[in-house]
Amino acid sequence: MPTTAPDRLLKLIHIADSAFPIGAAAHSFGLETLTAEGVLTPPVLEAFFTDLCWEVGHLEGCFVRLTYRCQVEGQLALAPWLDLNQQLAAFKSARESREASATLGRRFLQTIAQLEDDAQLQQAYQVAQQRGVAIHYCTAFGLVGGRLALGESATVLAYLQQSLVGLVSAALRLLPVGQGRTGEILWRMKTIIAAVADATSDSVANLEPTAALTTLPICYPTFSTFTPLLDLASMRHPTLPTRLFIS
Amino acid sequence: MPNLTTVTPRTVGLLHLRFHRSARENELADWGPTRLQPLAQQPPLRVVRAFPLADGAVLTHLHNVSGGVLGGDQLTLRVAVEAGAQVQLTSTGATRVYRHRPAFATASQVNSFTVAPGGLLEYLPDSVIPFAGARFQQQTQITLAEDAGLFYWEVIAPGREAHNELFAYDELALQLDITAAGQPLVLERLRLQPALRPLTSMARLGAYRYFGTFYICRVGVPAPQWLALESELMALAQRLTQPGSVLWGVSTMPAHGLTVRTLSLTNRAISDGLLQFWQQAKLALYGRSAIPPRKVY
Repeated sequence: MPTTAPDRLLKLIHIADSAFPIGAAAHSFGLETLTAEGVLTPPVLEAFFTDLCWEVGHLEGCFVRLTYRCQVEGQLALAPWLDLNQQLAAFKSARESREASATLGRRFLQTIAQLEDDAQLQQAYQVAQQRGVAIHYCTAFGLVGGRLALGESATVLAYLQQSLVGLVSAALRLLPVGQGRTGEILWRMKTIIAAVADATSDSVANLEPTAALTTLPICYPTFSTFTPLLDLASMRHPTLPTRLFIS
Repeated sequence: MPNLTTVTPRTVGLLHLRFHRSARENELADWGPTRLQPLAQQPPLRVVRAFPLADGAVLTHLHNVSGGVLGGDQLTLRVAVEAGAQVQLTSTGATRVYRHRPAFATASQVNSFTVAPGGLLEYLPDSVIPFAGARFQQQTQITLAEDAGLFYWEVIAPGREAHNELFAYDELALQLDITAAGQPLVLERLRLQPALRPLTSMARLGAYRYFGTFYICRVGVPAPQWLALESELMALAQRLTQPGSVLWGVSTMPAHGLTVRTLSLTNRAISDGLLQFWQQAKLALYGRSAIPPRKVY
């Protein structure tokens, strides 16, 4: 990984671009079902994304923080990182969204490991593949963020921003809303993203996935995520008669 | 004078149950009936007896003799389903969670279930009804061994609808861990505070009031079989779904099981649907029909 701060910052901006070529634009994570059934409409879009940030964004932001910490003095704590991937998978009840997260995570880590020629990221990718552990997007992002070492909070903010941009982009293609309107929503939601990122800091304050751990205990007493309507939309997505998105 | 501001638990209830099943003497392949051994019973939690079912399992009703969960209650339920034992647990009615009393700790229940190799746990309680002002925390941990099976559903009501109490509770915190051979299959962390984070949001319940989840596991069943069963049950989900009234969806877990989710305007639609999912999944995974408790037919 690069050593100069400007270089690392530019790389964080680059990987947090929703156009980073890992296929994120092909996934709606259930939004397509919600729009097809008339649940998600332009008037409720901003409130919906706000609540989504507090639910899914908060959960994934916590995992970004935890996987960011899977670096101890420059060395990767591989066992806790693998456990975090498995634990995140267990939080995702809808198969399509879980698989979408795993597809993006695998491509993301593979791409960065190749671009950087980073032996530790390559090792993480290979071990996960060998053990059949799905690599999720937020856990890969946190791991790479830890290598860039620009700070946990900056990494969480970058992750949440690019996730939201990706979902808003999906809504733009699904609903009769223009770029001006979605741009306004994204602009106003900066304060929400910042608040959610702050909340993730409190939620994982006492959780340290250190290299000394061979297994990471399941705890997370302060977590909360509740999106049954979205879970059901993702579960029911394969039954839509026509589909623009993979998930 | 008692200090009413002191946070003191009102009741510490405990139910510790062991279900075991021994191979008949000199006939190792022939299992005897499942037997219940209550290891500890501390009111308000109680069991009376285990009723034998036609398929060799036993049905046990979990009683809360105080009629509901009161502010300050600290309840613990521990159930060990030993090798080969088959158990159906249900409640005698909906779990009513009463209004929180400021002088007492938040009502809590800790559930721990272990299912040994070849064991089967069917835990099918009635819905949870949090009254206005209720505060309730529930932690459930389910540990499954090789070839262990699980059918477990949970349904949460919006409150006492007849009293126009919709999402009037203070807080409902539900925590669930289902693991098999050290691998997490399901992790749920719900902290519902309707006044702070409206449940009617399109990201949460939308226009629906009741929500339910049905977890179906059998450890060791290969992934392709789960995908096939997901497809079968999704066809049932499609038949039962009436957008705007009730929604059903099915997904495989990361391994060893399926999750069925539902949202509905009524409890009845969920109860009826869950029975159909239970029947179809039990037949697919165990080659025999589910035996519903008599209270439902």
